[in-house]
Amino acid sequence: MSLVYFKNVSKAYNGSLILDNVTFKIDPGEFASLVGRSGVGKTTLLKMLLKEESPTKGRIFFNDKDINKLKNQEIALLRRKIGMVFQDFKLLTHKTAYENVAFAMEVAGYPERMIEKDAPELLKLVNLEGRANNFPYQLSAGEKQRVVIARVLAQRPELILADEPTGDLDPINTWEIIKLLTKINELGTAIILATHNKEVINTLGRRVISLDGGKIIRDEEEGRYLI
Amino acid sequence: MLIILKRVFRTAWQGLIRNSWLSIACITMLTISLMILGTILIFNNVSNELVGILEEKMDISIYFKREVPEEDILKIRDELIGNEKIAKIEYISQEEALAIFEERSSRNPTIMRALEELGENPLAAFLSIKAKDTAYYSEIIDEVNSSAFKDKLMTVDLAENQRVIERISALSTGIKLGSFLMIIVAALLSILISFNTIRMAIYSLRGEIEIMKLVGASNWFVRGPFLLEGALYGLFASFIAIVILMPMVMWISPKVQSFISEISINSYFWSHFWYIFGIQAVFGMALGVIAGFWAMNRYLKV
Repeated sequence: MSLVYFKNVSKAYNGSLILDNVTFKIDPGEFASLVGRSGVGKTTLLKMLLKEESPTKGRIFFNDKDINKLKNQEIALLRRKIGMVFQDFKLLTHKTAYENVAFAMEVAGYPERMIEKDAPELLKLVNLEGRANNFPYQLSAGEKQRVVIARVLAQRPELILADEPTGDLDPINTWEIIKLLTKINELGTAIILATHNKEVINTLGRRVISLDGGKIIRDEEEGRYLI
Repeated sequence: MLIILKRVFRTAWQGLIRNSWLSIACITMLTISLMILGTILIFNNVSNELVGILEEKMDISIYFKREVPEEDILKIRDELIGNEKIAKIEYISQEEALAIFEERSSRNPTIMRALEELGENPLAAFLSIKAKDTAYYSEIIDEVNSSAFKDKLMTVDLAENQRVIERISALSTGIKLGSFLMIIVAALLSILISFNTIRMAIYSLRGEIEIMKLVGASNWFVRGPFLLEGALYGLFASFIAIVILMPMVMWISPKVQSFISEISINSYFWSHFWYIFGIQAVFGMALGVIAGFWAMNRYLKV
C-alpha cells in the first residue's frame, strides 16, 4: 500500500496546463524530492495533496482514500496527518513560538497536560527552548522555520510536505533544516521536499522526481538535480 | 467540551488583547452604533410620551344650547356611548361647568366680579368626549355635525376644535412615523458601520485563518474564537456606550423638561437602565457575532 498515489493528474489554470497527466507513488517512510524550475507546478502538486486545490483531471489518493471525495471534516483530519513546511513559514503572527506549536496540538484535540509537556520538548528538539515566548516577528528566518518544523512534529504526521523550506534561508540554516528533515524521516515519517536547490538535492542522494513542462521527465531512486 | 470552551475563550481573549488596534477600532465603531441605538430607544420613549400627553389632553366638548333640558342631553349621551369610535363620554351640567370655571378663575378677580354681576349661570352644559384613537376625532365631529340633534348644539366650538384636533392628530402621526423611520435608518447605518469594520478586521486576519485551516483546524475551531471575540467587542462597546449616555442624559433631560414639564428623560433612563443596557448588549453582541460569522465564511473555504 502506498502512502500517496497521484494517478494521471492534470491541473489547468484558465485553460493553461500546469501539470499534465502526472502519475507517481510515495511509500510510507520514503524521502522524495520534487525538483524543477519555478512555476513548473511543484507547489500546485503539494497544494492538491492538502486539498487546497483540486485537480482538473485525475485522482489523488492518500492512504488509499480519494482526496477529492473527502468531506469538510475529513479534509481537516487529512491535514492533521500531513504536515506542511512553507517557504514563507505561515506562522500565526499573534501567537508565540510555544503557542504556534501548541495550536497544532489543540487542533488535534490533545489534552492540556500533554500539550504543556510536549510543546516545550518539541521546541527543545529544534534548538529553540529559549525562544518559546517570542513572537514570530522576534525570530530570525531560520528560527521561524524551526518553529514550523516543531509545529509539524506536534501534529505527529504520516507525511511532511516541505515547499522550498530553505528558500529564504542562509546556507547554515539551510543545512540545519535539511538535517532536521532527514532526522525526522529516519524516525519513520515520509517527506516530500519541493526545491530547486541543486546542492541540497545532490547531497541528499535520495529519490528525485524531476518536473518539466508539467510532466515528470525523470524519477530516480538516488537521483541528482539535472535540469 | 470544557477544554474546547477554555481554548476558544483563551484564543479569543488573546486575539482581543494582541490585536489591540483592531479591537479598539471595532469596539469604537460598535460603541457609536450602540449609542445611536440607545439614543433611539430614549427618543422613541420621549416621542411616545409626547404623543400620549397630546392625546390625553385631547377631547371634544359638545356644548348644548342653554334651553336644552338635561334629560335630552343624557339621552344623546346614551346614544353616543354606543358609537364604537368613542372611548369615554362625560356629562358636565351647567352647575358643574360653573364650578369648574369658578375654580379655574378664582385667582382672577375681574372675571369673578363679572360673574357676580351677571347674577345667573352663563355657562352651557356639555358632553366631554374622548375617542379611542386620535384619528377618530374629526370623524366624530362630522357625525355630531350631521346628527339629528345638531340643532340643540352650539356648533361654533366644534368647528374650531376640528382644526386643532386635525393638527394634533397629524403631529402625533408624524412623530410616530418619524421616529419609526429614524429607528430604521439609524439601525441600518449602525449595522453597516459595524459590519464593515468587523469585515475589515477579519480581512486583515485572513492569512491567520488560512494557516489555521492548513494545520487541520475544523471550521468551528477557527470560527469559535473569532465569534467570541466579536461578542466581547459588543459587550465592551455596550458598557462604554451606556457610560457615555449617562452624562448625556443628565445634560439633556432638564433642557427637554423646560419645554415639556411632563417628560423626564432622566427618570426614564434610570428606571429603564437595565432594559436599555440589555438591549444594547444583546444588539452589540449579536452584531459582533453575525458580522464575524458572515465575514469569515469566505476565508474558511481553504
